[in-house]
Amino acid sequence: MKNPASILSFGISCPGGTAPDALADLSKWPVESVPEAGGRALREVARINLAAEPVNRWRMKPRLRRASPISHHLIEAIAQTLESRPDINPARVGVVGAFFFGCLEYSVKFFKGLSAEGRRFASPVLFPETVVNTPLSHVVAELGIGGPVYSQAGDTSCWVSALRTACLWIENGDIDHVIAAGAEEFEPHLLDAFHSLRWFPANHPFRIAEGAGAILIGRHTPNAIAHITRLADGHTFRSRAQARVAGAECLAEFDPGIPVLDTATGWLAPTAQSLLQNRRTERLYTGPRHEGFTASSAWHTIQAARQRQHPRLLVPHWGLSQNISAVEISLPT
Amino acid sequence: MNSREEVVITGWGCVSPLGVDAPSTWNALLRGDSARGEISCIPVEGCRVTQGAEACLPALEGVVNKEVSRLSRASRLAIPAARQAMADAEILTPNGRSLFKRLELSISTTACGMEHGENFLRDIWSGNSRHLASRISRYPAHQQIGDLQQHLGFSGPSMIVSNACASGANAIGHAADLLRAGFTDIVLAGGYEALCELVFCGFDSLQALTPEVCKPFDIHRRGLMLGEGAAFLVLETQTHARRRGAPIKGRLAGYGHTTDTHHITQPDPTGAPLEAAIQHALRQAALEPADIGYLNAHGTATVFNDGAEAAAFTRVFKDKISHVRIGSTKAAIGHTLGAAGSLEAVFALECLRSGDIPPQINTTHPIEELAASLARPGDKLARPAVLSVNLGFGGSNAALVFTAA
Repeated sequence: MKNPASILSFGISCPGGTAPDALADLSKWPVESVPEAGGRALREVARINLAAEPVNRWRMKPRLRRASPISHHLIEAIAQTLESRPDINPARVGVVGAFFFGCLEYSVKFFKGLSAEGRRFASPVLFPETVVNTPLSHVVAELGIGGPVYSQAGDTSCWVSALRTACLWIENGDIDHVIAAGAEEFEPHLLDAFHSLRWFPANHPFRIAEGAGAILIGRHTPNAIAHITRLADGHTFRSRAQARVAGAECLAEFDPGIPVLDTATGWLAPTAQSLLQNRRTERLYTGPRHEGFTASSAWHTIQAARQRQHPRLLVPHWGLSQNISAVEISLPT
Repeated sequence: MNSREEVVITGWGCVSPLGVDAPSTWNALLRGDSARGEISCIPVEGCRVTQGAEACLPALEGVVNKEVSRLSRASRLAIPAARQAMADAEILTPNGRSLFKRLELSISTTACGMEHGENFLRDIWSGNSRHLASRISRYPAHQQIGDLQQHLGFSGPSMIVSNACASGANAIGHAADLLRAGFTDIVLAGGYEALCELVFCGFDSLQALTPEVCKPFDIHRRGLMLGEGAAFLVLETQTHARRRGAPIKGRLAGYGHTTDTHHITQPDPTGAPLEAAIQHALRQAALEPADIGYLNAHGTATVFNDGAEAAAFTRVFKDKISHVRIGSTKAAIGHTLGAAGSLEAVFALECLRSGDIPPQINTTHPIEELAASLARPGDKLARPAVLSVNLGFGGSNAALVFTAA
């Protein structure tokens, strides 16, 4: 990005609720013990109750009746960003979504159906809901959003790629306001994947979570919640040793005096700790660590924008499998 | 382009069901060949339709067999296509590594390394936990990015857009946006898609696959033919290309994209959202509809898609529609989903380079709106620009306007 952008509003859907304070104390998030699909272990998971208000306000909308949980998480977060700024016309707003796992639940259900019952009996109702851009398509149709829409894929760090796209559209003059959103849904096979990859280290425990976060971004303005002043992306790795180098290179792009948000989970947590041992780190929540992937990335950015202790805060995004990126958030002066 | 920087194209490459490189694919398209055949690379027994367009995987020079066996089918399509584009743009060293240590990627796919995801699930359900880690680690889209970076020797930011079947055009348009805004000087952009069981069965379940030859814009069209492939372009600012002495082979003059909220799997039958994308691309290119000599249509040969496209083209070109040659190359190579926009961009550039237009094959009873416009064997490009359009599930529309060097 060449010019800073401003965060004008935000929205949240997380296991603790839909109010921003739900991100402050994660010990209040409901916890379920869920068995891995392969039955090897029980894991603690934080999920959203879609039957509860206010998330269920979308359940009877025509486009969302049969939609995947991720669509519900996403629409709640994006709707909040627009409801906070009624002066901004949704028809002139673009959206960039960031997804690590996407429509996991319906994809597994669809494939299980055709595997068990035969390919001829694959469900035509489920298939469209497996497509990565379907959740955002539902959201823009329901909320009357009329600007450009991209669904971007990648690991946890693709949140920063989505922010970069949003800033690009604003900088190019394509549109004045863009919503960046990260969303994920839980499905038990995810536990098997993490178990297989040894991504549940005993000495750095965390719970998998689901939900969404969204921020409304506009051109730099003093009347903002916070500003996105700098992005660093594209520090890629294929091994643990390379991840350490990528992390160091990413952090080196920023002023070493800026406090850093403590965001790493799982196998990357020891690497992050080691790289940040001489830096001031901040944790903006209490309670156990949770990992909601791109949703967590959005939540971290929102937390950094809401805090008022540090004029500048660096939010690293330790993508779990390919890339490390970071965002510098600064407060209005 | 009403921009700060002209966006030029200095190289391209592709792997398609008609050939392992751009020249062989283009020559087969001009001959009117079709790659339709029985699918053998994935299990399709029990599906209503078992035909499609399967690519022949090119050999990966310098890569040992053990490493090749680890790659997803998607990576085996993407790596050679990207290598061709980089070689064509003269940004590869003699040993096949990128001249630029950091090279931005703008890339598209819809199914990434899906066969590994499918095998991961099958193994869990059958209680086989031996290969779970290797299977799941090769599934996500960013692993194919890692494969490209590892095998071609670069790193840097990557953007993976997954806007269904418009993604390939979005990836190229996004690259142009990055260059236009001065975010970077050079981008490797493209898309890849490998046939996989989940997606094949999905389209079969929707009864969107044709049991006979694929007939875009035909009154008797019965659906699409799935295909696979990969295509990449090297896009640069004109300043960057000139500074390094790279031959300019084409220009991306305009890009437009809109979202159609009509229905999750069907486009607005009026064609208005697609028309808006085309008009935006033309405005950015500072061109008129009359400047378009060839239109590579999305042309899936489904009833809804082709009807909406015909309506959009009629709105754009009005009574001059017979002056533009229109065709869908999906009748020949199939619908390659996340790679479609990129492959069709390569065809647009080949058309500008050679002046030849690939004929519309299989269509014997064209719909009235496009009856006078469908490309015929031997047609030549008579105007300065080529338009390529794509539509996708979820309402994604994208239009790219290319001009000659």
